Amino acid sequence: MKPFEILDISGDIGLRSFGKTVQEAFVNAAIGMYSLITDTGKIEEKKSIDVSLENDSLDSLLVAWLNELVFHFDAYGFIGQKISITESDLEPATLKSYRLNAVLSGEEFDPDRHESRLLIKAATYHRLRIAKVNEIWKIEVIFDI
Amino acid sequence: MTLAKLKRIDQARIEISPDYKEGMRVKGIIYVDELLEKELEPQAIDQVANVATLPGIVGASMAMPDIHTGYGFAIGGVAAFDLKEGIVSPGGVGYDINCGVRLLRSNLTRQEVLPKLENLVNLLYSEIPAGVGSKGKIRLSPEDQKRILVRGARWAVEQGFGDAEDLQKIESGGCMEGADPSLISNKAYERGRAQQGTLGSGNHFLEIQYVDEIFDERAANILGLFKDHITLMIHTGSRGFGHQVCTDFLQVMERAAQKYRIPLYDKELACAPYDSPDARDYLAAMKAAANYAWANRQCIMHWAREVFMKQFGLPPGKLGMNLIYDVAHNIAKIEEHEINGIRRKLIVHRKGATRAFPPGHPELPDVYKPLGQPVLIPGDMGRSSFVLLGTQKAMEETFGSTCHGAGRLMSRHQAIRRAKGRSIRREMEDKGIIVRSAGRDTLAEEMSDAYKDISNVVEVVHRAGISTKVVRLKPLGVIKG
Repeated sequence: MKPFEILDISGDIGLRSFGKTVQEAFVNAAIGMYSLITDTGKIEEKKSIDVSLENDSLDSLLVAWLNELVFHFDAYGFIGQKISITESDLEPATLKSYRLNAVLSGEEFDPDRHESRLLIKAATYHRLRIAKVNEIWKIEVIFDI
Repeated sequence: MTLAKLKRIDQARIEISPDYKEGMRVKGIIYVDELLEKELEPQAIDQVANVATLPGIVGASMAMPDIHTGYGFAIGGVAAFDLKEGIVSPGGVGYDINCGVRLLRSNLTRQEVLPKLENLVNLLYSEIPAGVGSKGKIRLSPEDQKRILVRGARWAVEQGFGDAEDLQKIESGGCMEGADPSLISNKAYERGRAQQGTLGSGNHFLEIQYVDEIFDERAANILGLFKDHITLMIHTGSRGFGHQVCTDFLQVMERAAQKYRIPLYDKELACAPYDSPDARDYLAAMKAAANYAWANRQCIMHWAREVFMKQFGLPPGKLGMNLIYDVAHNIAKIEEHEINGIRRKLIVHRKGATRAFPPGHPELPDVYKPLGQPVLIPGDMGRSSFVLLGTQKAMEETFGSTCHGAGRLMSRHQAIRRAKGRSIRREMEDKGIIVRSAGRDTLAEEMSDAYKDISNVVEVVHRAGISTKVVRLKPLGVIKG
């Protein structure tokens, strides 16, 4: 199972990420998003950040998760290399509140050392899909760039 | 897709019948000729129809010929809503609030600039921060940032970026009244702190151009645009600050739409009644982002002028780099329009569409009252850009709106595949255009083939009479993010 693939749409760009668990699909969506911004192979683990989020739907939590990482990049230049969701309530669909805690380690983007790819403005709800198909979780999300 | 429910009205327009989908309150109108109709994306048509379902929409849900699929509203969309029954939607403005364009004229001719072009482009590229992760030269204290949000381009002028006379040549004078800094999240402040005076990435650019063809001699003279003279165009917006404001308020509006029981075809259409605290808060925050964008374009323009002064050793008076105009193409505004003979105040959403007010309109500066509002239409980096004028017909048909650019044709990956094995930079140089870009794939993604031909788009609005051609500009030097 590959972690993610790029969705080609006119105007902007999307990702399809996969995971044996919904947590893994969330992590792979984040790794995929970072790979749109830069070559993550050049990112070292120099510092880490904690992210803690709660929302009333899984869709909204995913969008909030990716937008939280967009924020940490756009405001502070932070790019994650290793991502782990340490604690979460993401299943089943009957939950009233969805939440996750994550730790990301990575470093600050440096235009002289790191490749510049796309500037992501936001993750959107456009054609957003989170589904479990044949025991594999699949996320589709589109970014405004 | 029920394409049978599309009907051609005339050479320039097609209509989406109100029975195209359930819940449409008005028809849809798309400005396309038969050529551009072939390039219409079914999803974009659907988005025009979705907007027609929103409460209080007046007249028609419209789209300009540069239409393509957006989030919620199509790019190129224009929709006006009643202030009592209608709504306000961040999706009708877009993530890049007050993304827009400004154009400067100059006394320099193409012949004078060509020998120094490469130096000029390199200097502009080093002076104006652009690209992913780039930081601006201005560090804003929290107080400064609040002042920008309230004062817009006026703040920039107060800091010595440009002149007071620039302000009257900016839509809304470069400052929308009613911005409220207390409604801005800490995240938006953090994203905006180091991004004032930065170009950004994607389709944003700074371009040295020359006047290639004049269609309206009288108007061109009044605007100070002469054949072979150099112009400078800046295309950017409110940067991460505006993106965060949009992200924040989409959440607010999603809850508001549930609270006010507004049925939505698409979450990105999230909205609230105009007359609600949620909409008032969004508009006050949107105005803050719009003002951030006007200050941004003002700062970038100032540095570009300084580069020209240094390069040519000329004082500002000799250089004549005066601002022609600055337009917003992602914004929502209260405006007065005549509907069936009655003047009404409406909230007009323009998302990838440009205001195109007619001669005599009270919101125009005196110098442009005899002409109509200058409309600036950037094309792709290899073809051309246009200056148009707003018309009375635009007032009557499109709430005083017209197109905003070329509109994408290819996805970014299609463009990258098409560019494989080619050096776009070299190809541009062969055409006499020098480009500098920070992004690895920016030039491939932004190559001409990836866009509709701007001339076709402009031809539609010109023939439809919702704006008229003044001059065509051709690129010589391009800075991309």
